[in-house]
Amino acid sequence: MTDTRTNLLQGTLDLLILKSLALGELHGLGVARRVEQITRGTFQVKPGSLFPSLHRMEEAGWLNASWGTSENNRRAKYYRLTAAGRRQLDAETGEWKRIAVAIAYALQAT
Amino acid sequence: MSPLSRLSSRAKSLGRNLFSKSGVEHDLDEELRAYTDLLAAEKMRAGMSAEDARRAALVELGGLERVKDDVREVRSGALLETTLLDVRYAVRTLIRRPAFTVVAVIAVALGIGATTAIFSVVNGVLLRPLPYTDPDALVAVLHDTRDPVAPANYLDWKRQNTVFSTMGAAQYWSGNVSGDAPERVQGLQVTSDVLAMTGVRPLIGRLLRPEDDAPSGELPVVLSWGYWQRRFAGRRDVLGQQLLVDGTSYTVVGVMPRGFDFPMFWATGVQMWAPLALGERASSRQGQSLRIFARLAPGTSLGAARAQMATITANLEKAFPGTNRDVTVTPLDTMVVGNVRSALLVLLGAVGFVLLIACANVAHMLLARATARHREMTVRLALGASRGRLLRQLLTESVVLAFVGGAIGVMLARGGLQALVALAGNSVPRAAGISLDPWVLAFTVVVSLLTGLGFGLLPALRVSRSEMSEALRDGARGSTESGKRGRVRSVLVGSEIALALMLLTGAGLAIRSFVALRAIDPGFDPHGVLSAEISLKGTAEAAPGSRLTFYTTALERVRQLPGVESASLINHVPIAGDIWGLQFIVDGRPRPQPGDVPRAAYRSVFPGYFQTMRLPILRGRDVTEADRLGAPMVVVVNDFLARRYWPNEDAIGKRIALDPGTGQPQWMTVVGVVKNGVQTDWASPASEEVFLPYLQDRQYLESDGGHVAYMTLVARASCPTSSRCNPAALAPAVRDVIGSLDRAVPVTGVQTMDDVVSGANARPRFTLVLLATFAAVALVLAAVGIYGVISYAVSRRTHEIGVRMALGATPRNVVRLIIGQGMRVVMAGVVAGLIGALLVTRLMTNVVYGVRVTDPLTYGAVALLLTVVALLASYIPARRATRIDPLTSMRSD
Repeated sequence: MTDTRTNLLQGTLDLLILKSLALGELHGLGVARRVEQITRGTFQVKPGSLFPSLHRMEEAGWLNASWGTSENNRRAKYYRLTAAGRRQLDAETGEWKRIAVAIAYALQAT
Repeated sequence: MSPLSRLSSRAKSLGRNLFSKSGVEHDLDEELRAYTDLLAAEKMRAGMSAEDARRAALVELGGLERVKDDVREVRSGALLETTLLDVRYAVRTLIRRPAFTVVAVIAVALGIGATTAIFSVVNGVLLRPLPYTDPDALVAVLHDTRDPVAPANYLDWKRQNTVFSTMGAAQYWSGNVSGDAPERVQGLQVTSDVLAMTGVRPLIGRLLRPEDDAPSGELPVVLSWGYWQRRFAGRRDVLGQQLLVDGTSYTVVGVMPRGFDFPMFWATGVQMWAPLALGERASSRQGQSLRIFARLAPGTSLGAARAQMATITANLEKAFPGTNRDVTVTPLDTMVVGNVRSALLVLLGAVGFVLLIACANVAHMLLARATARHREMTVRLALGASRGRLLRQLLTESVVLAFVGGAIGVMLARGGLQALVALAGNSVPRAAGISLDPWVLAFTVVVSLLTGLGFGLLPALRVSRSEMSEALRDGARGSTESGKRGRVRSVLVGSEIALALMLLTGAGLAIRSFVALRAIDPGFDPHGVLSAEISLKGTAEAAPGSRLTFYTTALERVRQLPGVESASLINHVPIAGDIWGLQFIVDGRPRPQPGDVPRAAYRSVFPGYFQTMRLPILRGRDVTEADRLGAPMVVVVNDFLARRYWPNEDAIGKRIALDPGTGQPQWMTVVGVVKNGVQTDWASPASEEVFLPYLQDRQYLESDGGHVAYMTLVARASCPTSSRCNPAALAPAVRDVIGSLDRAVPVTGVQTMDDVVSGANARPRFTLVLLATFAAVALVLAAVGIYGVISYAVSRRTHEIGVRMALGATPRNVVRLIIGQGMRVVMAGVVAGLIGALLVTRLMTNVVYGVRVTDPLTYGAVALLLTVVALLASYIPARRATRIDPLTSMRSD
């Protein structure tokens, strides 16, 4: 899915990152791996789009960042959903579902 | 998320990003490093070696710089932040190369400083609105733009027009104010409309009122701020105090605010305003003494006002022939700055050229540096920096350079401005209001920004576009310059030369004009002559009988002063004094129609005037003591009048009559013809002038009233040599003589005729000095530019020259080669410059005198000068090339 990776819509990436953080805080690589995992490997997030996205959502107040220690004892920056981020996730999830259903209908139509 | 909290979240991070800049950068670095480490660790767990894992992780990161840039882009204040980063980087880079930076900053500072100084003059004089309410509606209604108007005409215009909301008249007035130290004070007599129409409110007290126009009882007077300070020490209780002017008592009713001046183009520096009472003159269409000012009625255009005035004056002209010709309605603002506008715009254009040349210079310095920084840029490109970022950073660098130059330029301008205003003297109106005000500073900021972008854009585009492969192949040195870059450089230098040539041409024309002006023979010899006005107004000596006695005695004593070679008296001294025109008719010629009667400048002189001024008597004689009342009436005329009315005849013995009116002419016999002398304007062509003997001039001897109770003393100092002539030293003795006769008589307007002449040429001198300065700066900058380009070319061609010399080229061949290359650029620039000069100097048509703007001599001379300077500038590096040791140069590769 090389095309999907490069053409990944920004909104979709944001949604996936928010979703990946729904269960708890993660560092950058953790986010990338979690997105890969929950999309069953369909989406691989490159640092070039990952970090700008993380920072943008931090700016927007959807994510909180703090320094913590990683599994191999490395200082790493961990991201966590804020209340606003959760609301954003809910809103975008609902939006996405509506679109998905609509597109599914559209594609089924003959 | 509410918009408000979103805003506050943005604001917080903006603050964090900007104020803890290094922390944020550091965080980002560490975050990305952690990412790479974690990724590498992951790969090692999958079985990679530590080194392979690390390399793979870095590859996967895909350009550290690019990621960082992308992150920076999304952060709040990203633009500001990266700009700050760039500025800091730029400052560091500039500090690291002090020689380059200093030279570039000096060039920019000169350019911007000069531009700022000239712009503040343009701003202060041309752009600032006149300090009156709605100044655009104020107009002057005069004959032939500047000549005064007769009272009856003014009253008719005022009555008949519907286009002006108000119209008023002003008349020059100066009076002796009595007191401990008698002094002559300049004033205006005005109708109440004049001060009112300016919309300026008095500082204290009141303006003149309509009822003051026909004063009964107490005469009111309004004082200027300066006179109030000087005479009344700024005391508030000045209102109601009496001022004795020419023996008449005036009551102070108001003080105008500081700096108030009206109408600015005439009678500047007025210190008091009193009512204008026309009295019996109200019906006169002859005595043209009033200046008329008016305010356009709301909604009335200048065109409509002119059309109606044309109709009114045409009707009056029909009824009273010769009285209403050439009546003009001119906006006040045009009157004030009209004749200085073209000179200032020429200077602004010239200084713009200097700035352009400075820009071109800095641009090719940057180009030379760009080559040196090629590798730096290539490495950054390889690290993933985008071209846009590099471009922005390079531009930031040149803008920083421009702003540093601009800041120093403003300081230069501050210093230069004082010199400029001093140089301008009285030749530039409103000079007192010239300053570095916020408008000027805003202009400088914009110019600095544009300058930085201007000289930075080309080199920056070049660098950021550099091909990675080419750059890496190039290595640090040894490559010959690519043809394209060399061409850009040549175009820059060519343009510099073209611009410098245009400036030099302008300066050359200004010099030629000035020489032509200086070469004008004023007729008399101003060197060594002192002039001083002696006014008897309001004193005991003002009575008709006493005047002659006083002046005769005073002249007698001044002539006996040690150091005085000769002395005389005249009503109005040339240039500095007033000028009165009188109509005259010539005996034996039919009387001309009213309106076609010729006029002559009218002077009333004591014997010895021509000798004192060294105005040669061409034929006949001077007026003498014998030419007094009762003796035959005589007159001395100038050569122009004599030749015009008695061509091919001797004027001596012919007769003219002044102010003929309709009655019996008072014939006067011409007894002398003098050389044409300058009258009012230095460069005006000669026109008719008559000199009456004061001793038989009834107007001056017998008229009542103050308007003839003054004379101007001219005294020639006896000088051992012409260079040791100091007529100003006579002034105290002259004052003593007058004081000893009557302490109440003031001596004013004391100045040497040299100063008077110099003042008359102040504006051309102003233009000349500035243009010459700019041209000199341009010449130096262009020379530096040529030198820079040639020495750069030599340094790039060291290897080639070494080979040539090894193959037997003589130093002469090498010099010729190098200079030849430079000269092609110079010649192209000279040709372009000559064409450009032909186009732009047309704007100077109103500024030059005695030379055509296409003067071939000037063009040839400046082209030659520039070529010689360019030859020298390229000879130095060419000489250096001949000292190249072939062995070293080839080994160096």
